[in-house]
Amino acid sequence: MEEIKEIDLGIEIINGTKDVFSSMLMMEIEGLDLSNQPRSKIPSNLTSMIGLGGGIRGLLAVHCPAEVAQSITGSFLGMEVKEIDEDVKDAIGEIANMVAGNLKIAYADAGLNIELAIPTTVIGDSFRISGIGGARRHNVSFKMESGTFWIELLYVLS
Amino acid sequence: MELDEKIIESVKEIFSSMIMMDITVSDENPGESTPLTDSISGIIGLAGLRKGVMAIHLPNSVAMAITGSFLGMEVTEIGEDVEDAVGELANMLGGNVKTILSEKGRDIELSMPSTISGHKYEFQSTKEAEQTTISFVCDAGKFIVELQLEK
Repeated sequence: MEEIKEIDLGIEIINGTKDVFSSMLMMEIEGLDLSNQPRSKIPSNLTSMIGLGGGIRGLLAVHCPAEVAQSITGSFLGMEVKEIDEDVKDAIGEIANMVAGNLKIAYADAGLNIELAIPTTVIGDSFRISGIGGARRHNVSFKMESGTFWIELLYVLS
Repeated sequence: MELDEKIIESVKEIFSSMIMMDITVSDENPGESTPLTDSISGIIGLAGLRKGVMAIHLPNSVAMAITGSFLGMEVTEIGEDVEDAVGELANMLGGNVKTILSEKGRDIELSMPSTISGHKYEFQSTKEAEQTTISFVCDAGKFIVELQLEK
């Protein structure tokens, strides 16, 4: 079997997200890898997630408080967004899709084929998302003027 | 056989063989994107030849009854046992749908199963997707199985 190169998934998530924000939203953001820190509750009102299959079985989730999801969508569309509507769902879903697409490329460069599912979105005031026992986890926080959002990757090797 | 009939057959088979529970299809239309209350959802992504998401939405009481039946013990709270059982249920459903959509399940990969739980939440497909939604009834109550496929 061909050897698979090591990938620093935290860095891939940070770089992929920065690329998406600078190219799509003309916005520079910084990411902080929290993967080694104790798990704490992420205050999300809107989470867009996308499944990854193939060389790994995983899940990438973008967790946003309402005001952050609205401000990202507002910048994306160039207008003020005051509620969580279809546009917000589509914009954050597209970010999940693009960041996962970037990971797919990073894995392909390392010799592992990954396929993406379609994004889905969970909206609510208090919900919890869990992977399966034994899953590896990466979590990165991104700070913007309107607040913080998080990108989490859960996976197991196939 | 139509896709919805194949899904119904596969859900019934999983419930009778793995959970030892008889279920029937409910005539009630599950409706679209109504918020789920005091529920847990098992989710699994399909990738490759067909892309999509399979989900099972269970009210807490039904999820606890299913987990109890699965583990052979009484379950009184939504904790790790229920999350694991619902995740495994999603995994089994995903495995069956894979073989429904592709000969011998080739060319379709499954993502990691996950669960969403909470007092009130909405679960929505982001991209335009073809949706098949079926509601079922068991002794403990009703639940919904949903498949979204990219067109």
